[in-house]
This record gives sequence, C-alpha cells and structure tokens, in this order.
Amino acid sequence: MQANIAKARIKKIMQADEDIGKIAMAVPLLVSKALELFLQDLCDRTYEITLKKGAKTLNSLHLKQCVQSFHVFDFLKDTVSRVPDLGASDAAAEDRSAAKRRKISEDEEDGNDDESKKARVVS
Amino acid sequence: MEPMDIVGKTKEDASLPKATMTKIIKEMLPPDVRVARDAQDLLIECCVEFINLISSESNEVCNREDKKTIAPEHVLKALEGLGFGEYIEEVYAAYEQHKLETVDTVRTGKLSNVAEMTEEQALAEQQRMFAEARARMNGGITVPKQSDPEPQGPQPSLNT
Repeated sequence: MQANIAKARIKKIMQADEDIGKIAMAVPLLVSKALELFLQDLCDRTYEITLKKGAKTLNSLHLKQCVQSFHVFDFLKDTVSRVPDLGASDAAAEDRSAAKRRKISEDEEDGNDDESKKARVVS
Repeated sequence: MEPMDIVGKTKEDASLPKATMTKIIKEMLPPDVRVARDAQDLLIECCVEFINLISSESNEVCNREDKKTIAPEHVLKALEGLGFGEYIEEVYAAYEQHKLETVDTVRTGKLSNVAEMTEEQALAEQQRMFAEARARMNGGITVPKQSDPEPQGPQPSLNT
C-alpha cells in the first residue's frame, strides 16, 4: 500500500486554491495520509452498496448512493450529482465514455463492457 | 470555495496521477472486485475534492489563529471539525514517524559538532567553570546558585 499518495501533486492541488498561502513542509504528508484513510472509507462503504445490490462491478451509482448515505460525505454531493439515477441512462453515459475507452484499452474493463451490454438488452 | 470559481486556472492540471490512483483503489477493494471506468474517475475526483476541503478548512483554522503558514496542527483541527476526527490518530502517527525520519539527520549534525570539541577543549572548559565557581566562593559573596555558570556582577580577575 502506498504510504504517501503523490505528495507533490497534493501540494499542487492545495496551492491551486488562491486563498491558500504558505504550507508547512510536513502538511502534504498529513493530507496524503488523511486522503488514504478517506479513500479507504469511501471504497469500503461504496462496496457495501455494491454487495447489497448483488453486483460484481462497483459503479458510479453505488458511489452516488454512498455519498447520499453519510453526512460526512456531503461535500461530495455536487461531484456525484451528474450521475444519473436510472439504469437506462447509465448506458448512455457508457456510450459517451466508450470513445475515450477505446483509445486506452485495458483488459480488466472488458468484463464491464459485457455487463453494460447485458443491461441494455434487458431494459 | 468551489473549484469552478477559479477562473483562468485549469484545475484539471492539478489532479492526482490516474494510474497510481487506479492501482491504489484496486488494492483497497477485495481482489475480485471490478470498478467501472467512470466510477474510477469519479473516485479520483472525490479525492481531489477531499484535498480541497481539507485545504480550505485548514486555511480557515490557520487564519483564525492569526498564522501565515498552514501547519500540521491546523490540518488535525480541520479533520476534527469536518467530522474526520477518527483519522487524527493515524495521521498524527504518520507525522511523528516523518519527524523521526527527518530529525535524525539534523540531530546527527548537532552531535558531531559536539564531538568535534577535543578532550583538551572540553577539559579547559570544565576548568574555566570550576575556576569561576571558586572565585565566586573566595570573593566572599555567598551565591547560593553554584551551578550557575554565568558570572553575576563584578568578578575578581583570575590569575591562573
């Protein structure tokens, strides 16, 4: 497990905010660790929803529902708001991102393609 | 502070490395779990949002304390305030570990400086301090603090 998630990038992201002035040297390290813990929590809780739905692939809808289930994730509401709630619209979203996907071919995503095709046939 | 408010600055430039993040996310989940591509991207966006959130809150804590530089303590307080208090212990532990790993070089530097004082010099220094103490006693001035190396007031000159 990566102990420090890209400290340099974290610092860059922090300083992209104009309100932020100087940052002590150790700060990106703390943020990195906090981020790691946060991401683990987010993944764990989203996956619980994935399991509950009997799905094998964790998708955006699970993530959206996870965010809606915990107050501590309220700050993510805008980020997930564009995820459609209906299954049929998910297919449309897949179409849009399909063009991107074909450029970068990754083996593990093929399974996901099959699933979404199945979903389209069913609905 | 919404990312969209920053005009003229491409926040997309300051994003987390996708390949690294994808790997980390996969490691965080059970091995047989697949993650949809758009969910991957969304998770990374959530990470960036988290960083923004912590940054803003830390900055506010910093300002409230009238400090100019965001310090580790500000980050810890920010986590508490945002409802991530349970992270504080581990984050602080990581910070302590980091301090140990970086201070060592500084400490070694200081120790080697002390070691550079030769035995002769150390002995001379010791003699000097004893002499000063003796002089104070002999001068008839009862100074209760004998351990104080600093001369107090006028001292009789030493002819050693």
